Amino acid sequence: MNSVAEAVASITDPEYPDISIADLGLVENVAVDGNHATIGLIPTFSGCPALAMIADDVRVAVEALHQIDTCTVEWLKTPVWSTERVSLSARSTLNLDYTVTLRRKDGALRCPACGSDHVADQSAAGPTRCRSVAWCNSCRNVVEVMR
Amino acid sequence: MTALTTSPRSWPTEAAFDAFINNGGMVEASDDLPKAYLDEVFPFIEFHANSELMGGLTERDWIPKAPGLRMKQIFLAKTQDEIGHAHLLYMVAADMGVKSRTEMLEQLFDGRSRFHNVFHYQAVTWADQVAIAFLVDAAAFASQRAVFAECSYGPYKRVLKRIVAEEGFHMRHGEEMLLRLAEGTPIQHRMFQEALERWWWPAVQLFGPDSDPNDLLLRWKIKSQRNETLRHAYIQKYVPLLQGYGFEIPDDNLRYDDEQQAWLTSDIDWEPLKATMRNGGPDSRRRIANAAANWTDTAWVRTALEEGVSTRAAA
Repeated sequence: MNSVAEAVASITDPEYPDISIADLGLVENVAVDGNHATIGLIPTFSGCPALAMIADDVRVAVEALHQIDTCTVEWLKTPVWSTERVSLSARSTLNLDYTVTLRRKDGALRCPACGSDHVADQSAAGPTRCRSVAWCNSCRNVVEVMR
Repeated sequence: MTALTTSPRSWPTEAAFDAFINNGGMVEASDDLPKAYLDEVFPFIEFHANSELMGGLTERDWIPKAPGLRMKQIFLAKTQDEIGHAHLLYMVAADMGVKSRTEMLEQLFDGRSRFHNVFHYQAVTWADQVAIAFLVDAAAFASQRAVFAECSYGPYKRVLKRIVAEEGFHMRHGEEMLLRLAEGTPIQHRMFQEALERWWWPAVQLFGPDSDPNDLLLRWKIKSQRNETLRHAYIQKYVPLLQGYGFEIPDDNLRYDDEQQAWLTSDIDWEPLKATMRNGGPDSRRRIANAAANWTDTAWVRTALEEGVSTRAAA
């Protein structure tokens, strides 16, 4: 690992230990000025309890690079995060490993476990505020929806 | 995980079912579950759901008392996590057709159900809550990870994947909280030592007595490890860790055995654990009454939601 962007992308989300924050679309800016780096991140929602942890992980990883002495991590107010920022590979991991889906443009849900469209919304929030809870009526599994 | 089948399968004999499980087969909700399997798995998931709910209510009690905005934010998030986990687990359990969600909740609040031993004790000071976050959550995390590892019931395993990831996140919060006390003032250090004396044994007992040689949960791959294996590994990890921070484990017979290269504890007294399983622990009565009052007090929210749904459906 040698570039600042690679160091930032090596950080995973605390609630998805195998998905990079870059793949979740949290990384907005990576700027290097001499031996100082400034990283601009955007949160999935502003009250996310993982923000301090993610910022700290990013700072430590970037400052470990030999060409960087100091790193500032900022949480940006804009642009606002949306599920469109999630990469295809992260969508695939969310689907296959976490049984988490993303709503399609027409609002429909597809079950990541069995592929059925018979998925019904259950509650607006679940264990975390960045996901709602749904139920697949075909395979009878809980499906969480990243939002 | 591969795409699952929704066409019901059935197994003519227990031997056929054993073979299916031993080959790494995953049981799905649509399958014709052998009664003996259902009889083991349903109460296990119900117990897990109850424990997440009771644990979440404990975290909630500490939101107003947590020192500082950052700690309050952590406790808000943990409360949401635990209650959310209970929500998902009750969905999986209710779908098994043994009890409805309402029946499970009412039995819990009537004191006719069971939940983890550690939620039958009182958290006296903030340091107790730190001991819970650092020690008790770690014990629960270790046992959940061992269930996730092989778990043969698909809908439970899929929910556990997310629960385990989130509990891992809690572990980091627990370490942060412990470090503050361990590296804090002598008073903070002493507070944690006192909390450790209250919570060490309940945390060790959480794993339960040695597994029965014929434990059906092991045979059908709900558990992947015997209770004593998990308990032993936990003791080996946490004894040196706590001693390293300058704390004393409350066990006069604790010693390192050079031959076995392991920390050995006193014989464990299982009576306190048994008492909690009868809801006769030191704080069981208050905790259950508190949870029951919470359920009654929020009845209007459920009514409003149901009425909202029927009004919208009629429109």
